[in-house]
Amino acid sequence: MRFWAVRLGSIGLAVAGAFAIGMLAQNSGNTVSRLIALAGLYVTLAVSLNLINGITGQFSIGHAAFYQVGSYTAAFLASQLVARGIITTTGMPISWVLVAVIAAAVSAGLAGLFIGLPSLRLRGDYLAIVTLGFGEILRIIIQNTNELGGSYGINSPKAFVVPYVWLLAFLCIAVCRNLLQTAHGLTFLSVREDEVASGAMGVNVTRIKVAAFVIGSAFAGAAGALLTHNEGFINVNSFTMDVSFIILTMVVLGGTGSITGSVVAALALFILPEILRDAPAMPLNAILGSLVGIALLVGVIRLAMDNKGLGREVMGARLWLGLGVAVGGAIVVSIGTNFVPALANRTIPSAELRMVIFSAVLVIMMLLRPQGIFGHREFGLGKLFPKEVKA
Amino acid sequence: MLEPSLLMAGLDPSALPQQLLNGLMFGAIYALVALGYTMVYGVLRLINFAHGEVFMIGAYTALFVSWQSGYFQGAQGLQRANNPGILILMLLASMIVCAVLGVLIERFAYRPMRKQPRIASLITAIGVSMLLQYGGALVLPVSPPRSILEEVNPYDGNHSISIKPKDAALQTAFTDAQARQKTADAALAAQIKLEGVSSEFDLSEEGKKVNSAALDARDATRGAKNNLDNSGMSLNVPYGQGIMFLTTLGLMGLLTYLVMFTKTGREMRAVAHDFDSAALMGMDVNRIVTITFVIGSSLAGAGAMMCATFLGTQLTSFVGVPWGVKAFVAAVLGGIGNIPGAVLGGLLIGVAETVVVWAGGSQYKDAIAFVILIFVLLVKPGGLLGSAKVEKV
Repeated sequence: MRFWAVRLGSIGLAVAGAFAIGMLAQNSGNTVSRLIALAGLYVTLAVSLNLINGITGQFSIGHAAFYQVGSYTAAFLASQLVARGIITTTGMPISWVLVAVIAAAVSAGLAGLFIGLPSLRLRGDYLAIVTLGFGEILRIIIQNTNELGGSYGINSPKAFVVPYVWLLAFLCIAVCRNLLQTAHGLTFLSVREDEVASGAMGVNVTRIKVAAFVIGSAFAGAAGALLTHNEGFINVNSFTMDVSFIILTMVVLGGTGSITGSVVAALALFILPEILRDAPAMPLNAILGSLVGIALLVGVIRLAMDNKGLGREVMGARLWLGLGVAVGGAIVVSIGTNFVPALANRTIPSAELRMVIFSAVLVIMMLLRPQGIFGHREFGLGKLFPKEVKA
Repeated sequence: MLEPSLLMAGLDPSALPQQLLNGLMFGAIYALVALGYTMVYGVLRLINFAHGEVFMIGAYTALFVSWQSGYFQGAQGLQRANNPGILILMLLASMIVCAVLGVLIERFAYRPMRKQPRIASLITAIGVSMLLQYGGALVLPVSPPRSILEEVNPYDGNHSISIKPKDAALQTAFTDAQARQKTADAALAAQIKLEGVSSEFDLSEEGKKVNSAALDARDATRGAKNNLDNSGMSLNVPYGQGIMFLTTLGLMGLLTYLVMFTKTGREMRAVAHDFDSAALMGMDVNRIVTITFVIGSSLAGAGAMMCATFLGTQLTSFVGVPWGVKAFVAAVLGGIGNIPGAVLGGLLIGVAETVVVWAGGSQYKDAIAFVILIFVLLVKPGGLLGSAKVEKV
């Protein structure tokens, strides 16, 4: 009884939550609505890559490829439907969007199977480069296929998909979470921890790896279909290596294997560049100065982290010294920049600056917290209300 | 898309040796960069994603040194100053700057992460690479359209090597055709002068006949020249690329000596074989890692300088990405961690790319490296010269 109450309650909450986000998006402007949809897509991508990378331990760095397969499947389907006069170019009925999502998930799942099969033989970095290569080959083939818009891109009818984007994200989270709660999920974890040992314990390593690839890429493909109908126009530049790297970064920064970590990191890493888009232009010397200062500061903190054993007074003195060096370095660099003719008195618009800040934050985060925000742990409501343990 | 038969018809077998040679020269640069990837991987088991950006900084160093030493941007673009010594200066400066950058990256970004899971180091590497790309875009100039090619490179021109001599009969036919064309051209010029018109299009009936005879003669000469050229076979080596290839071979020889026949080289091989045991045997592994980064990065710097000077790659702060990715593919193709494998992989990819372009698939040039890689890994999961073993991510 309690089981079903919790299940139905969770499902009801997820649907209500997705549609509440949809309402919110509908009431805000076009730009904000688009960002809310993209944020949801990134959550799905990060959590689905986490299944392959964090939970099963298969080193895939080409997740954008499956996103691309799904996206182009939906776009191709829509172009065929338009050509047959079933739908118009002005808008896509939601029922057809859902068909497109399923088709995209199936085709991306098949692509995952296609990539997952060689993964039986390849391990570690070799698998990584194959997944990366698959994405690049796919991108170049699509670029040269006129039926898919070539290098220009392909138009598809738009639809309001925000609630479905978030519903997909919740579904993806639920699948991964529930997988980990069952005996099936333990086999995935065991493959990550030790392939040889889990094989010896009777786990079908091959089947687990392929299953992880197929499930993860199917979710990425479904996300791709929603991207197509959210944007109304896609081209291959939306699926470059950088996108794969950013999704991978979300997984690692959140803590490999941690679903909540992936969600939080996906949201944070998606929102950060968007906030920076509106940042004011800054003088170059201040930027360089603060970069150097922060780099020195990070170095000092790392030193403190590595030398915990030293006495408090020694460490305190060193920290102050380090802080002084960091501030001094920042000031020296920012003043020194003015003496270099090519660099003096330049201001940098925020559009050029945001990726610099993004990558700097990334490096600093990794140096200060290498295990990711959540490590291997999860964060849930249970953490806020710890159960009382009877002695 | 072309029909397969049409595609085959377009192939020109006499151009193939030239393309293979070009491929080898390109491949040499891939191999130089791939050596950096493979050496770092061998020692640290880390994919050094920032290696492509080290390459980029090396190319820019070469550009700046060339500007500082007399190749400056004037009204007509870059001004030439014929002094090969500057090329050596550029090469050394690139290698030194890259070595310093590589060591700094290792010291401040990779060493703190060494005890962490390898994927964390990988993300740090990606972060450093992005920081250098976008940070570089803020301060580095986009190089002028002609780059530092040719204008800086005093070794313009080609060295032609004849493989098969040209047909003597065709040579006579060509000389005859040339003589006939000369006569026809003279007749046309005389006719134009006679009729007193400025253009050959305004001629009378008789003049038009002379004109068409002259055009026919020109066509015949062109045809004879084509026949003559196709009968022989020769290779053109641009002097600059020849120098590039020889320098690359020299550097590889130096590297082989260093790794195989010196004490440091033996230590490097020991650390690559087993990091922890090497440390237990009393080796200073940090020193070895630093040396590895010095060597790998300076090879990338040498490749970058030669690529910017002799191949004329246009410089932006993102120029390291395609070179880095393909060099990495070359390293994996040969078996990552394996030094001869990196050279083999680099040359193979260089040749494959030019052959694809020769076969008319220039739009697929960037994909061929990955296609070869995937097929090789399916057959030999450890790369061409490597060995596969179970390892954890």
